[in-house]
Amino acid sequence: MAGTLSVLLIGLPWLGALLVWLSGDARPKILHILAVGTSVSAGLLSLILLAFAGSQPAVNFKFGGWFGDFTLVADGLGATLAAVACVVGSLAVIYSVDYMQGEAQLRRYYAFILLFIGAMTGLVLSGNLFFTFFFWEITALCSYALISYYNDDPKAVSGGMKALIITQVGGVGLLAGALAAFSNLGSFQIADLLKGATSIPAGLLAFIAYGFLLAAAAKSAQFPFHTWLPDAMEAPTPVSALIHAATMVNAGVYLLARFYPAFAQVPGWTLAVTLVGMLSALTAGLMALTATDLKRALAYSTVSQLGYMVYAIGVGGVFASQFHLLNHAVFKALLFLSAGAVIHSVGTRDMRKMGGLGSKMPFIRNVFIIGALALAGVPIFNGFWSKEFILEAGLKQGPVWAFGFMLFGAGLTAFYTIRMTWLVFYGQPREQLHVHDSGLAMKISTGLLATGALTTWLLAGPLSGLMSGSLPYHAIEPISTINLVMDVLTGAGTWLALIILLVGAGLWVVVQRSPNPIPQAHWFTELMGTFHEELVSSSFGFEWLNQQVVAAVKKSAAVLQKTQTGELNWNILGIIIALLAVLVMLFWGV
Amino acid sequence: MNISPLNVVLLVIIGLLAVGIYGLLITRNLIKIVLVLQILVKSAMLALVLAGKVGNNLGLGQSLAATVIVADTVVAVVGLALAVQVRRRFGTLDVADISTLRG
Amino acid sequence: MESYLYLILGLAAIVCAYRAMISTRLLSSILYLACVSAMVSVILYLLGAQQVAVIELSVGAGLVTVLMVYALSVVGDDARDLLSVIPKPLAILIVVLSAFFVAIMVFPLVEPPLDVTSFSLTVVLWQQRVLDVWIQIALIFSGVLGVLGLLSEREATPISHTERFADQIVGTSHEEVHS
Repeated sequence: MAGTLSVLLIGLPWLGALLVWLSGDARPKILHILAVGTSVSAGLLSLILLAFAGSQPAVNFKFGGWFGDFTLVADGLGATLAAVACVVGSLAVIYSVDYMQGEAQLRRYYAFILLFIGAMTGLVLSGNLFFTFFFWEITALCSYALISYYNDDPKAVSGGMKALIITQVGGVGLLAGALAAFSNLGSFQIADLLKGATSIPAGLLAFIAYGFLLAAAAKSAQFPFHTWLPDAMEAPTPVSALIHAATMVNAGVYLLARFYPAFAQVPGWTLAVTLVGMLSALTAGLMALTATDLKRALAYSTVSQLGYMVYAIGVGGVFASQFHLLNHAVFKALLFLSAGAVIHSVGTRDMRKMGGLGSKMPFIRNVFIIGALALAGVPIFNGFWSKEFILEAGLKQGPVWAFGFMLFGAGLTAFYTIRMTWLVFYGQPREQLHVHDSGLAMKISTGLLATGALTTWLLAGPLSGLMSGSLPYHAIEPISTINLVMDVLTGAGTWLALIILLVGAGLWVVVQRSPNPIPQAHWFTELMGTFHEELVSSSFGFEWLNQQVVAAVKKSAAVLQKTQTGELNWNILGIIIALLAVLVMLFWGV
Repeated sequence: MNISPLNVVLLVIIGLLAVGIYGLLITRNLIKIVLVLQILVKSAMLALVLAGKVGNNLGLGQSLAATVIVADTVVAVVGLALAVQVRRRFGTLDVADISTLRG
Repeated sequence: MESYLYLILGLAAIVCAYRAMISTRLLSSILYLACVSAMVSVILYLLGAQQVAVIELSVGAGLVTVLMVYALSVVGDDARDLLSVIPKPLAILIVVLSAFFVAIMVFPLVEPPLDVTSFSLTVVLWQQRVLDVWIQIALIFSGVLGVLGLLSEREATPISHTERFADQIVGTSHEEVHS
């Protein structure tokens, strides 16, 4: 049963992608129906899969040769993430019915989205590192294609290229790590790596561990690769929701969580993970503070929240990180989709031009506020429980200084979330914008997500039970929802965080109260402007690093392009030189 | 000079191989490339028969050589057909002019 | 004595091959190729592979030559002396190196057989390597397609821009399937 479901979860979206691609652009209605049908059924099946989760491989294809068996393991971690990918993905697809109405080339859009969802499911369910890498690369390709969807916009194209190249750098880390593990263990199976980690020589294991950390940091847009995600905002908003909540960036966190038991013993690794998470959470929080583009602000907040998850893994709270991942997927998808509704309605992403939109689109305002409260970590909303749970884990097991910085980050989060909400929905309308209310499909998907943002924290108990039961190497203790609630409510960290949060929120009120909040003369705007100019626009200097990487790749591509003369004789020369190389190798080998 | 006949055949094989490779590298006419391929394949066929002789299984060598002859003829036919169509479409047989695969 | 016979035949084959490769007129190239084929088939005959020698003579020297001449008559002989794209010294270097390495590795392997108890071609081809026969049949079918492409008289329509672009992606091979 689990096997059939696992295969269906990959196959169904891919089949949908194929059908969408084949059915042509002429009748968009068919495309909408096909895409929604396949993704929603995949979403439902993924929920059923949760009931069948187990640590044993659900599917085992013999591939022979070096690749080993192609296994699909629907354990707690994989099944949960597959459910997140499929459910949130299907909601994004439903939302697209309204958002992408009337766009040309819909089939390219839907085909890549469905391919993306299927690849993400494959990535988290695969029990074979080689195939994990395979799916990993497909997600990179899809993200590139979707970010550059508006391919006549140079910003979109360069954003997609940047995402592709940076995540490829990570992919190299993953491949190198996987090959190193294979060279020692003789197997690509993830279970073998987790079991045999202690028998790998320390140096090699460290190489694998840091390779995977590089991969995760690049994929999840963590420090120092945190600059591609904001540039990916040129994509259509449902794609942003998909990348930020359902697929793509979760892959990095998944990778770290999956291999935490194997790498926890590597000296310095957990500290490195903690640091990466902390720096991402802080820098991205500061950048979100000054962002004027609504989607960019949300993108920074994603990087920051992913930083929290990575930090949680660094301090050993694998379950806390996955719990936050689930909750984050829900509320971030909600935020993106409702932000998308606003953008779709008013036609600009600049928050300085918005304002006072709340009364004109009350439904969107309400769901956005639910998402914002969850993001800020206000009690009852799902983000509160998981974030506090992470902070608890950090206080108990992690270094105190890191905990302090993360607390500061929580305050930052509250501050920029309130700023964002205020700028968009409240205050005086700053420009005359033509506003229309959102469509039905938009309301359905955002409404469902808003319900989720209020309730998914209740799933903490079953989720921990599922993970502890099916992850033999992670040593996750099951914790019931009640216990988690009590833990959080009685923890010192929670109250500290709430105080910080109140301070953060209060700070905004102070800023807001002082006269003339937005025009340039205001002291806060000026301060933020200088801050933005000096540091944020260059991502604290790391934009430079990322640009160097991208430029180096592009330059080498240009050099290699020269070898493609298109002339047969040169191609033959290449083949014969390869033959010569083989001959020389044979000669020396004999 | 005591050189065995089989070694002489081997020399012939290598000679044909060298001529074939050289031809592939410097030839620009499509039909002639097909022709040069024929020379290369003849060298390979001779090598198969020689290997059959040396390995004391001439029947196997011959059977493989027969397959090679068929394959080789088909390569010639398809190659020539391609050359004819290329000539019709591009108006030239010079591979240096047919470089639409340039990167 | 046998060695000298092989040497003479082999030298003739190589010289013919070289002439075929170097000649600027396609027709003489084709005739030289037929000569190569004939020489090779004599060598095959002497090596004891009589059946293959006969096939080679009829197919290699006969059929392929006819095909080539036909193709030539269709496209016409543009007897331009085309200069090589690749610098000749480089080509010669590559060729010499390849030949050298092949020779070094292959020569020690060739030793005359100890005894001569071998299966005949018929036994091998029809009993031991039946798969090859099937492969040959499949190949012959693609050869028929090729002949169709060769014989098709349809003139290519002037290529529009989009078609040209499609050509860049798929090459020109779809042409032959169409015709």
